[in-house]
Amino acid sequence: MATKQAPTRQAITLKGSTNLVTEFFKYAANTILFQRGVYPADDFHMVKKYGQTVLVTQDLALENYLEKILKQVNKWLLTGSVTQLVLAIISKDSRTTMERWVFDINLVEPAAGDGPAPAKPETEIQAEIRNILKQIVSTVTFLPVIDEPTVFNILAYTSESADIPADEWVDTDPLAIEAGKSQQVKLRSFSTDVHRIEAMVAYRYEG
Amino acid sequence: MAFQPKTPSRHRSRSEAKTPLTPSLVSQLNAISFNGSPTKGGGRAPSDLTNPFLANASRSTSPIKRATSSAIPSHESFQKQANTGVIRKGGIESRLDVITRDYVPPPQAATAAKPEVKRSRSQPTRDTRDRFITSRDTVDDVAANLDMMSLNPQSTSPGHTARLAAATGVPLNRRILAYHEAPPPSASDSLLSQQRELVRPLYGRPGALPTSTSTSSKTRKISTQPERVLDAPGIVDDFYLNLLSWSCQNLLAVALAESSYVWRADSGEVVQLGEAPEGTYISAVDFANDGNFLGVGIGSGEVELWDVETQKKLRTMAGHSSQVACLSWNQHILSSGCGDGSIWHHDVRVARHKVGELLGHQGEVCGLKWRTDGELLASGGNDNVVNVWDGRVGDVGAAGSRGVAKWTKRNHTAAVKAIAWCPWQPSLLASGGGTNDATVHIWNTTTGARLHSLTTPSQVTSIQWSPHRKEFLTTHGYPTNALMIHSYPSMERVVEIRDAHDSRVLWSTLSPAGDVVCTGAGDENLKFWRVWEVPKVKKGKDGKEASSRSSTSSNILSIR
Repeated sequence: MATKQAPTRQAITLKGSTNLVTEFFKYAANTILFQRGVYPADDFHMVKKYGQTVLVTQDLALENYLEKILKQVNKWLLTGSVTQLVLAIISKDSRTTMERWVFDINLVEPAAGDGPAPAKPETEIQAEIRNILKQIVSTVTFLPVIDEPTVFNILAYTSESADIPADEWVDTDPLAIEAGKSQQVKLRSFSTDVHRIEAMVAYRYEG
Repeated sequence: MAFQPKTPSRHRSRSEAKTPLTPSLVSQLNAISFNGSPTKGGGRAPSDLTNPFLANASRSTSPIKRATSSAIPSHESFQKQANTGVIRKGGIESRLDVITRDYVPPPQAATAAKPEVKRSRSQPTRDTRDRFITSRDTVDDVAANLDMMSLNPQSTSPGHTARLAAATGVPLNRRILAYHEAPPPSASDSLLSQQRELVRPLYGRPGALPTSTSTSSKTRKISTQPERVLDAPGIVDDFYLNLLSWSCQNLLAVALAESSYVWRADSGEVVQLGEAPEGTYISAVDFANDGNFLGVGIGSGEVELWDVETQKKLRTMAGHSSQVACLSWNQHILSSGCGDGSIWHHDVRVARHKVGELLGHQGEVCGLKWRTDGELLASGGNDNVVNVWDGRVGDVGAAGSRGVAKWTKRNHTAAVKAIAWCPWQPSLLASGGGTNDATVHIWNTTTGARLHSLTTPSQVTSIQWSPHRKEFLTTHGYPTNALMIHSYPSMERVVEIRDAHDSRVLWSTLSPAGDVVCTGAGDENLKFWRVWEVPKVKKGKDGKEASSRSSTSSNILSIR
């Protein structure tokens, strides 16, 4: 996706920014799946990305599954019709939602008045992404330990008018955690010149 | 990429602007604005003044007109308001309250004021003005702006939107979609990962460091490469057998399945000594102390006596019911450990060879060693027991006399195959346990006390004491397949030779000179390791003994 050819230009075009964001979701989803133990650690291998090591699944089925989802997300991002992506971690047995990793996608409004803002350097964007990924890793320290088998689900919040492949995506329940039983932690955000991604995790906590 | 990404606060303000459809609701909201305003201080005065007009204005304006002016947004706004209402009931009021109170009232004031002044004003301008608190002085506008901005992150917080959707169950002008397939289950074999979990403790043992084949010797350099490798085709890969013996005449006996061979260390010549009876195999070999005779244990329970010089079988001593896996000589007594747990003493000189029976093991006897002075016999069994027997009992008594163990130790938690007497301190006995134990215990056989214990990374298959140094060597099985030398009594590791063989190292025997150790393993190789040196001082002191002892090393060198 992200190529090295034009690193400085990527973030300022819609297409480039979309690719950056999609790629970020790929690594963020992988990191979450690994850190939260949704898939066994054996399934993951280390990849150098964003100047750090990221664990990425090598399970072909899962890889394809994520690929299919991200492809559609990429399309939606291009049309601006997706506003939020949620990775929900659900207990396999009781089907209750344990964690919700929420990524808000906002379009950055061009700064009014003083003309086009200078393009944000890619290194800065990468540093921001790195920080989010690191934060995801570090959430393990405060998130409740999950000691039951879990599955995950990815939800996309799209606008009414979004172009949706009918047989592939279906309307669904938000898989929310009851307000009284959930705690939330806002994570860092990152932005390209076009998109701004804000991350948050909500988890079930019945203290 | 529609209007959506703009800050929700604007939406909210717009929606509030549309509320005057029902006058009662408006008045309620006004009340809220009143409540909120005092906190803001005197700057609010104009808005307060306009409030009465607001009610009038909203009544005067026809609801229909309003609705038509912007039909879709108002619809939307209804939803939103409904949602917010529900949320409040839901109990997360605190934050929402703050948000609404802080900046909802002003737009209302604005809308109230505006229709009065300029009814016909176009939508966009009203919108932009809605965002700010127009009722304030123009000087304060900047500050208000900042206020709004600082509020934005809160209102756009993912949690807020998520909760909105969650609480209402009605997606706000958006759809929640999920991919039609469920995510695939993990493809990796759960059984395999379970197995890995089981094996993990083997690697987690103390001493099982990731460093391999590293010599940590501070005092001297020990070669981690074998000096010589011999092929041993067909050697039986069985932990319980003892298939290597090195005599004082510098001959190495090795049993390959049903055949026994003698390798002359001084010439490199190989002689086939003999074969086991048809249909069975050799399970143990041991040289007599003088090196003239070889005791051979057979899988079917016989013990054979072979003359090494003439390569002839002298006699067969039958009687054991199952495999004889270990042998040890004491003068003319050949002791044999059997698969049924019994140890017999055979007097090889007399016809009725069985002169003693020691019953003290429930499992197969897999380690058996006489102390060089013949006072004590140590045995280790598959029942995890170490026994030490008084050597005189079986020897002196009449045929079939039964001995009782001097003492019994049950500290090991796995089969005890490795047994070795210390050559320079007769009371010391070392014993090493199998896979589940992997521990070496050093015993004082006089008192029966356990002096030292050493946990090793893996199964201990044999122990050899150095005759010249205060050290001992252990050989190990899976996963390290290592040779290790430990110092005594500090029990520090002198050297570890990782992966000495391709499979578990099963047997070891020490050359008569005490410098080279020969190891055998399931990978069908015999390897010779020069791990110790014959001290030169000794050589000068009594030349005769030293020269005969050092013959091994010199001859091996000459072969090469």
